[in-house]
Amino acid sequence: MKAFLKTTVCSVVLHVLYRALKVLVRKDSRIRHEFSSFKDGFTIRITLSTEGPSVVMRKEAGRLSWIKEAEGEDLELKFKSIDSAFLVFTGMMGISRAYAEHRITVKGDIADVMTLVRMIDIAEAYLFPRIMSKRVLRAVPSKERSSLSVYRMVLLGF
Amino acid sequence: MMYVPSYFEFVNSAKLLSGDYALENIASEMNLLGSVRPIILSDATLEKIGSVKLLTDALAKGGMRPSSVYTDIPLDSSIEKVNEIAVIYRERNADGIIALGGGSVIDTAKGLRMLISQGGRDIMRYVGSEMLNKGQNVPFAAIPTTSGTGSEATGVAVIKDGERKVKLEFISSFLLPDIAVLDVRVLESMPPRITALTGLDALTHAIEAYSCLQKNPISQCYAISAIKLIMANLEQALRKPKDKKARISMAIASYIAGAAFSNSMVGIVHAIGHSVGGVCSVAHGEAMTILLPVCMRYNRDYAKEDYSELLLYLSSPDVYASTDAAARADKAIAVVEDFIAKIKESAPIATRLSERGVMKSDFEEIAIRAMNDGALIVNPRNADKDDILKILDEAF
Ligand SMILES: [Fe+2]
Repeated sequence: MKAFLKTTVCSVVLHVLYRALKVLVRKDSRIRHEFSSFKDGFTIRITLSTEGPSVVMRKEAGRLSWIKEAEGEDLELKFKSIDSAFLVFTGMMGISRAYAEHRITVKGDIADVMTLVRMIDIAEAYLFPRIMSKRVLRAVPSKERSSLSVYRMVLLGF
Repeated sequence: MMYVPSYFEFVNSAKLLSGDYALENIASEMNLLGSVRPIILSDATLEKIGSVKLLTDALAKGGMRPSSVYTDIPLDSSIEKVNEIAVIYRERNADGIIALGGGSVIDTAKGLRMLISQGGRDIMRYVGSEMLNKGQNVPFAAIPTTSGTGSEATGVAVIKDGERKVKLEFISSFLLPDIAVLDVRVLESMPPRITALTGLDALTHAIEAYSCLQKNPISQCYAISAIKLIMANLEQALRKPKDKKARISMAIASYIAGAAFSNSMVGIVHAIGHSVGGVCSVAHGEAMTILLPVCMRYNRDYAKEDYSELLLYLSSPDVYASTDAAARADKAIAVVEDFIAKIKESAPIATRLSERGVMKSDFEEIAIRAMNDGALIVNPRNADKDDILKILDEAF
């Protein structure tokens, strides 16, 4: 697949993942708990490859927000290549595995990475079919509500 | 069968100088790297027992005079300390670093190297994993005085943020020393307790590197050599502290176990062990000793093949052959437990958390911290908070 196609796919999935996290911060007790360990104003940047696009999220008044442009993030995860990002955002590889395989560079505290990874693992359990999560995760997190209801809130907003 | 991961990375760029007159060769090697007036980092104890002088004398023979000798490094070094030494480094116009000491001194030196090569006054900016470029060339030699942390062979530095009282992790292959130096003259004064605990730390590095998710044909091969050396030499190094062969063998074991885990990373023993150390100030090697058998039992069904293979190196071909294939993993764990028990006969070390003043009321905090330790990510079996609490209970 061409790099720009992979970049497009990753950007879309990343956006869905952000929307899911935003919903789940309110609707899933474990994600809410993890999220509470970030201080208000905590800014996370995820960059899709060395030269690739990045998205920035910030905790604002206890909620997760999408930030257009920001500098001085508290945590940055950068994929070394778009191909590695593609593996993760298409559910072929868990984000923890990608980190372990040195596919991701980190600027910031590893403890914060661990928190974010747990949040993403749970979110992916809602977003990806169980058979996929089972293949890429050492243990599949349980769901506190149906995937359908999460997708509805992610896509339709209610 | 040898496991080949779908992807892995491996780096071990340090040049190793190991054995007789290794210290005397440092000057020449540092010269080759472009350093003629390095700063020496060490600690007060090593200065007192004469190890620092041994080093400066050896350097003098090679015509090298250090720009300064800094020995005020505590056991638990900090960001602030690194920043402070960087000022001296620049004032004295040093052009390289020689670190003589245990994990804390070498990690401080790594921090200094990073700060000098990247520029700036505060290494806090560089917290993270693999995000640094190489920066300015700063020749760096590390001489371990304990045989366990393997810091001289790893691209990791753990340094305390004194203000926030948390340990920060720096990961980069550019933290690796250019030269690692193993010389028994700075190793033989290690007291029995330190010999035992650092040796068992190295054993933990090897076992975790062999069985964690990032294991690969190179790191596994390193881990095997380390295990063989440790099983054959640790008891002797305790019985006869001046036994040169046993001492240098343990130093080599520590170095290669360090190289192994620097690449395939360590797992749950370290994740929990770091937290036990952080919350209850239990020495790192002691936390490893206490947790290793318990965590191996926790991992057993997920690391069965690896543990089974390790039995051959932990024991002997006879024991391996006469143990039923299905029972080898359990046997390997039993051998590790017996080995620790034997070490305990010759050195004052703890094998239960309760022996070191850890309280059950500390468990909650330990478990929460362990969950945030990067080492958990590569453990073969996933662990949540309840799993960690159970492990702590079993190790109590
Ligand atoms: Fe260790």
